[in-house]
Amino acid sequence: MNNDLKQEQTARINFYALLSRVMMSEIDEGLLKSIEEDENMLSFFPTYKIWEKKEKMSRTDLIEKYLNVDFTNLFLLHLIPYESFYVRDDQMMETGGDNPVQQIYTALDFQVELDKARVMSADHIAVELEFMYMLCDSENKALENEDFKAAAEIAKIQYGFMREHIMQWAPMYLLNVKSEAGTAFYYDVADLGLEFILNDFEYLTELKNNGYNYEV
Amino acid sequence: MYLQSRRTFLKGAAFSVAGVAVIKGVFTTDAIAESVSDSKFTNTPSSLSFYPPVSEWNSFKELDGNDWKRGGIERRGVRSPENPDGIKVNDYIIVPTVCSNCEAGCGLTAWVEKGGFKNNILTVRKYMGNPLHSGSRGRNCAKGYAVTSQMYDPDRIPFPIKRAPGSKRGEGKWVRVTWDEAMAAIGKKMHETLAKGDEISKKQIMYHVGRPNENGFGPRVPQSLGVDGYNSHTNICSAGAREGSIQWANDDRNAPDWAHADLIFLQSSHAADAGHYFQQSAGLIAEARKRGAKMVTLDPRMSNSAGISDLWLPCWPGTEAALYLHLANRILNEKSIDGKDLVDHEFVKEWVNWDHLMSNKDYLNKMVGYGYISKVPADDNYEDFIEILKELYAPYTKEFVVKECRLEGMEYKLDQLWEMFIPAGAKVATYLWRAGAIAHRGGWMNTRAGFLPLALRGAMRGDIGGVSWHHWQEISVAGKGDKATVAGKHPGKTDAWNELAWPPEYPISTYEMSHMLPHLIVDDAWHEKWTKRGLKIPKSIAVYVPRMYNPVWINPDGFRWIESLKREDKFELTFNLSPTWSETNWYCDYVLPVGLAGERNDQQSTPSKPQQRIEFRQAVLRVAAEKMGWKPKKPARATLEAHMKFGLGEVWEESEFWPNLMVDYVDPDGSLGVRDYWASKKDPSRAVTVPEYFDAAMSLLPRLKETATKMYKDEEFPVYCYMRDHGAWTEKTNVYKPQEEELKVDAKYVYAHGHKYHKDEVEKDQYGVLWVKDGNFNKSIGIIKDKEVLGGFHTLSRKLEFFSEWLTEWKWPEYAIPIYPRGELESEKMVHLVSQTHHKFMKGDNEFALNTVYRLPYNIHTRSVNSKHLMEISQNHNPIWIYTKDAEKLGIKRGDAVKVQIQDTLTGIKSGYFIAMAVPTEATRPGVLACSHHAGRWKLKNSVEIPGFAHRLGIMSLGSPEYAMTNDGKVGTLTPIDGIHPHEAWQFKEYNKDLDNIWWDGLSGAWQNAVAPSLPDPVAGNHGWHQKVIITKAGADETIGDIHVNYENNYKITAAWMDQLTRPLNAQDKVRRPYHIKRPVRPSQKAYEFNIKDV
Repeated sequence: MNNDLKQEQTARINFYALLSRVMMSEIDEGLLKSIEEDENMLSFFPTYKIWEKKEKMSRTDLIEKYLNVDFTNLFLLHLIPYESFYVRDDQMMETGGDNPVQQIYTALDFQVELDKARVMSADHIAVELEFMYMLCDSENKALENEDFKAAAEIAKIQYGFMREHIMQWAPMYLLNVKSEAGTAFYYDVADLGLEFILNDFEYLTELKNNGYNYEV
Repeated sequence: MYLQSRRTFLKGAAFSVAGVAVIKGVFTTDAIAESVSDSKFTNTPSSLSFYPPVSEWNSFKELDGNDWKRGGIERRGVRSPENPDGIKVNDYIIVPTVCSNCEAGCGLTAWVEKGGFKNNILTVRKYMGNPLHSGSRGRNCAKGYAVTSQMYDPDRIPFPIKRAPGSKRGEGKWVRVTWDEAMAAIGKKMHETLAKGDEISKKQIMYHVGRPNENGFGPRVPQSLGVDGYNSHTNICSAGAREGSIQWANDDRNAPDWAHADLIFLQSSHAADAGHYFQQSAGLIAEARKRGAKMVTLDPRMSNSAGISDLWLPCWPGTEAALYLHLANRILNEKSIDGKDLVDHEFVKEWVNWDHLMSNKDYLNKMVGYGYISKVPADDNYEDFIEILKELYAPYTKEFVVKECRLEGMEYKLDQLWEMFIPAGAKVATYLWRAGAIAHRGGWMNTRAGFLPLALRGAMRGDIGGVSWHHWQEISVAGKGDKATVAGKHPGKTDAWNELAWPPEYPISTYEMSHMLPHLIVDDAWHEKWTKRGLKIPKSIAVYVPRMYNPVWINPDGFRWIESLKREDKFELTFNLSPTWSETNWYCDYVLPVGLAGERNDQQSTPSKPQQRIEFRQAVLRVAAEKMGWKPKKPARATLEAHMKFGLGEVWEESEFWPNLMVDYVDPDGSLGVRDYWASKKDPSRAVTVPEYFDAAMSLLPRLKETATKMYKDEEFPVYCYMRDHGAWTEKTNVYKPQEEELKVDAKYVYAHGHKYHKDEVEKDQYGVLWVKDGNFNKSIGIIKDKEVLGGFHTLSRKLEFFSEWLTEWKWPEYAIPIYPRGELESEKMVHLVSQTHHKFMKGDNEFALNTVYRLPYNIHTRSVNSKHLMEISQNHNPIWIYTKDAEKLGIKRGDAVKVQIQDTLTGIKSGYFIAMAVPTEATRPGVLACSHHAGRWKLKNSVEIPGFAHRLGIMSLGSPEYAMTNDGKVGTLTPIDGIHPHEAWQFKEYNKDLDNIWWDGLSGAWQNAVAPSLPDPVAGNHGWHQKVIITKAGADETIGDIHVNYENNYKITAAWMDQLTRPLNAQDKVRRPYHIKRPVRPSQKAYEFNIKDV
């Protein structure tokens, strides 16, 4: 695997991991510190970087008084971060086994620990992004082992999952998050998520159009 | 900036933290088992209305949630011998019961796991709604679903405990006793008291009921003892509303038809988000609004209700009557756009007692004298009555209301109100209950004035979308299981009148003056004053029984309660029938643990819509066990035995406790005449059982009896069986215009209210009202209208009483009509109608009215404070709300600790202070602070040791911080010293695995109730909850939660309110109280006789 591909895969893994993590549960001081101290990471949070409150408050206060409140609003209370809510005509969440996303996980022998994730069903935005993380990670391992056939199979799943699911609703949800966000941090999270997902889907589409031929 | 370049994102490869370190990791892999194709289970239920049919309630199978949420049956299939890894199937007995966490009585179903029965463990896995309950319709609020966490509260009191011999009340030393040991001691004391047989002894047993949540069983208890001993909490709750309602209708609360109203007209957040029947009412209100109904909320605070209303009117608290009379003025003096009168003359002429006013020239002259009207009209016809009203209410102009209600800048809101009020016609629904009606001196006039505009518009007709009266929709049979007893009849009425509950200063109070009990019982001067005049008042209470009540904490002047309860010469023996630890328990001799929602047996009826319905709360473990074949050794103690055998502990409940206490311990030989009222007719050697008693009681409903006897042909107790299996019954629907129902009349008799009267004994007066003799009194039974004999309202006039004629005879003539002071002079003269927190008393920038009467919808009562689920959503520290600009002026910021000092405006005396956390907000009006009096729980120890018992018993270890207290007889202090430390879950471990996840400190504000003096309204007797306060920033050594009370001062304030404001009975009075108005437990007519000498 050449450096470019390696860099590509690592970047994708890291972005899916980061986005999944910050949308699944409240930010912790350690991760926030990592973001703030890594110029590279911080560059993806341009509004937060210059946010007045960040400069004035301790991380603990910032998290407890602003970020957690905003997270609660955007991911727990007022916006509904579940695919079924966005794609069903009746806007009901599907929490049972008939959830199409759940069925994909089931078909691939994946099981979501809903209580650990603290979500209501398997089509939560952060769970879907973690699923993509896992697929990217598996793809990467296949590439490291030079099993290009397996990597391509996994990439196909990624493309299908993105097209049939994430792209069907996540942009809308993230636009809502951008519009409703009360803190610079979650505004940037939404913006980053939106940009990355659209960008990654372009990448996967390109890969597909190339017949899943990796330039190794 | 769509889209960033791929190159930009490639920077992600260089993140200092790798994805693997960041990711949450919520996926596991799992091999799929084969699905079981013949299962009845599907991946997703087809509907969220997931109530199994009643036919399956005795065995309903459901997939276990823990497995289910990991992917439905396609993941592992359903568990079976062939598929042991599949999803577990739970087999439940679903037992209906009724929530007991507020007064609404919403239906619940307890899902009892059957599997443990063979091992003598029965567990309620969850509480859900009961779809058969036509009031709650399968829905519950947070408190309903939290019943499980109350049932399996790790700090539940597991057995009866007694104050340790040799210790003082309040020392916190306890020993374990059996129920029989406790009953033996209590029964002996009660027997000795009753055996004296004199008048004093009939006033020395007091049953003090907090939240009754049942309809009649409680009153039967003191009545069967032959004592005047029933005491309720009404005077700190709803007395003001009841007083105003009784004056209008001789019914003590109204009953709206929310669902069909075009205007929901609320005063306070009651009904829509926190108050009486709120879960049921809120659903109906939501339906009305979906249909297009408007909603108006009068409240100084932007409650949840106000926030979603079409109009929020933040009147100065206690001035609402002025606004109501302004509406009356406009209705009377303006025309509709098509030039018609706005008054519903047909209704007013027919159903309001204008004729009584117009024929009472003496009173009309008085009205002239009061300056209400300029002259007595020449004629006494209806038109002249309307002219009087026009003149009477003309001074309530918009300008007046704006000034009086402090609505400057909000004048347009009055126009908006009018534009919503008038188009709604007679379809205006309201529920005037707590808030303004209880919070103020003269609060009762809030209700009195509030119903006037509705009456003028015809909305009080009780028709569709309007307002009717409570008792037409309420079914009270819980006290009437008489036929199951040896006596076979209801206990008689006592000849005693208990002045400790019904003092002669408050002859028309609604009802018992319970918040003054700790004052009166230690007030030697008061005792001497009335004894000299000839009354026989006890100096002590021999047996005091709070029941589901925590008077120490919830009443004003809590330190006075503590001082009094500690005195064994005043309260000789005390025991609390309490499901949980409470502040009151700490000062009692016995704490007897009784049941919660699914552990009691009560008949309840809650009128939340125009129908008549009963619900049956039952001990679900007993019912489930009996259905599976278990039989108690002693059938009259089945509930206690079931709780002990199947793992709940020695938890009992009143409908078995009292009969057993009476039969075996109070009157075992029957010499007191008590035993027969509680001994079983079927087996006189023992107490009556739950099935026997409630079958007899509920059989009094004819439609229920007919249905049940058909459905349960072979059962000995068919009505009980019906209610056991269904939990609720709707006897009658569409209860509209009940006053217009015709009375049955035949050749000889007139039939009214369950009695028949020979025509010869019925007399008709000049207004068409039918009267009969009732002992020494007369009572009206109906009214003739257009030759029809109708029941009418429950007033003496059988009409709605604009003119409360009896009030003139009971010393309050100037207030016998809806009225409110119209200027400074009247405000001075009519002091009884002017709130103690009126804006005229606020002089400095830091002087405010404190609005205390609003509920936090999720945690309102003592018994729910240790529910971990409710506590988790209650953690807002009950801050003190202060209007943003008021806070700015005083330099107060969010989170600041402020000292809130209470000052009485009648005497100028200061009570003390509490320290609260300030939250500046636009959601309370200028000049008015808000801090709910439903919070601020405390305890003095986190746990207690019980000698000989392996575990310490936790005390509210999930719900209250620990405090340190000082009190020296004059000054009391309380300060929080430690937060929440969950006690070891030695019981109900499985349900309490998450105790390490408790994050809150438990501090839910200060115990402000203790700082407040008792402020008894001179008419209704209610405690005026709102207070004038002076706020300053707290000192460095003061912390949120601190209180400092001079309760000697409080005593003086209460005495001043009684001495200066009341109009007590005197030697000219011959009756204690108007006989026609309600007393929750009515003594004999002899007891009503009043003969004293003036000294």
